[in-house]
Amino acid sequence: MSSHREAPGILKDPVADNTDVYAWVTENDTVTIITSYVPVEAPAGGPNFYEFGSDVLYEMHIDNNGDGIAEVKYQFRFESKNFNQNTFLYNTGPITRLDDNTWNRRQFYTVTKLKRRSSRRGQLRYSEEFKVSGIPCPPCNVGPRSTPNYAALAARAVKDLGNGNKVFAGQRAESFFVDLGSVFDLGTLRPFQDLHLISTPKGTGVDAIEKVNVHSIVLQVPIKDLTADGSTPRDPLSPKSVIGVWGSASRQTGLYRAHGRRHSSGDWRQVSRLGNPLFNEVIVPLARKNEWNSKTPAQDADFEQYVNQPELAKLLPVLYPRNTFPNLKAYTQDRKDLNAILLTGIPKEVGIAGFQNFTGPTKADMLRLNVAIPPNPNPNRLGLVGGDATGYPNGRKLTDDVVTIELRAVAGITIPLVDPTFTPDGAANVIEDGTFPPVRQFLDQFPYIGTPYSGYDVPAA
Amino acid sequence: MQPVTRRSFLATGTAGAIGVAGAATIGAPFASAAAAATPDELSPSEAAAHRGPTMVHIVDAAAGKVEILHGERTIAVTDKTLVARVLRASR
Repeated sequence: MSSHREAPGILKDPVADNTDVYAWVTENDTVTIITSYVPVEAPAGGPNFYEFGSDVLYEMHIDNNGDGIAEVKYQFRFESKNFNQNTFLYNTGPITRLDDNTWNRRQFYTVTKLKRRSSRRGQLRYSEEFKVSGIPCPPCNVGPRSTPNYAALAARAVKDLGNGNKVFAGQRAESFFVDLGSVFDLGTLRPFQDLHLISTPKGTGVDAIEKVNVHSIVLQVPIKDLTADGSTPRDPLSPKSVIGVWGSASRQTGLYRAHGRRHSSGDWRQVSRLGNPLFNEVIVPLARKNEWNSKTPAQDADFEQYVNQPELAKLLPVLYPRNTFPNLKAYTQDRKDLNAILLTGIPKEVGIAGFQNFTGPTKADMLRLNVAIPPNPNPNRLGLVGGDATGYPNGRKLTDDVVTIELRAVAGITIPLVDPTFTPDGAANVIEDGTFPPVRQFLDQFPYIGTPYSGYDVPAA
Repeated sequence: MQPVTRRSFLATGTAGAIGVAGAATIGAPFASAAAAATPDELSPSEAAAHRGPTMVHIVDAAAGKVEILHGERTIAVTDKTLVARVLRASR
């Protein structure tokens, strides 16, 4: 999956597991950023429904000078409260308002914006720009009796922070899509499994996470709040137009359990992060995934070797042996195309007309977004490789088919961007896992990511 | 994490955290040791002001290197005497 349970450490800590990050330009010169956590929530989650971790520090990071360190950060801290001390139930009647007294277990959160100041003796320093507390999350989507008219109820949890900032945090429908059952069964892609080393008849893709939920934090902010000079850039080829975005979750160093309670102390240690989808999942070796989750993008040069010689590119010709990927098999040079896409951004010198999202020479896994490129009313699910400069790897929209995009990139279709002598294999232009964006569930307005599946309607995820 | 010497650490007035830390994380033996009258003993108001938990992590016993986890900070301290007291109390 994009980054769901992608490392041995974080799979044991779901509330801190950053599953997906999205960032794209939205209406009125804004950027919308989504960071999702708590992977593979079964909608029928009772008796204790899913929630954010009250002992986790959730963060959105924005780098606007290309050093792989955040200049702007948004932090989110959650607090859980039981309003009824005498019931075992999440709710004792229909929940029709966010302050309904039938709703027992609720969450509230604080959002804080931080801006980087100058470093002092090697220590990063940030100053607080704003802090808003007591914002309610919506309940989980229990079912039609407990949470009737859920979409309208959840919409009331959208908080206007003023000055063009909006925020929402709560349960949402899983927006990622992938045939997980096939891709991790020795790289089978059902539409092409007749060509697999262990061949079976062709099939159609199965979205393994089609009807599960996640918990998402959605933030919409003016572009000028994220750029280095406070401007709203209009020239896509200007270096000022590109920002790097990533999400993370951190826990405090010490955990102490006593009398049925947990207490944390000490400084915050990062346990999960995510910029480009699938980076830790399919680029970083299993033995180093926990380490990668603890580091910052500024430290990613240490992982560059896995981008330059990706294991998956070597596996594809082995798993699909019948002369399916002969040119990829013969290509042994470092993958400068993937290095640009994942670690530096694509420079304008590559020659994609009117496009670049280069952030400089620092090797850093970030979701790079050129904010001078306005929204496209007719997006292509294949993003940049499908001719849509508003899609991945220029930021990431909910509708972007990042599994197919990255699969084709690893298979070689992006090598000609940096090496015109290379001809991609025919298979590289068509391979996919056979799953498609769940477009029907997405909302046409903030928070965009879809209404979560109800436990009553989806009793077995 | 902030490097702190024993001297500067004591000067900040947070020395009380050490004693309470022991009580919070390693239990009665060290609490008893901390209760002994020493120049570092907490005043009643200092003790009342403490909000826990405070945890002590001995990083390197021989070098006396300790991390004190308190609130949202991890404070590095080098204090062989402190390490000796904690380890002896934990026996």
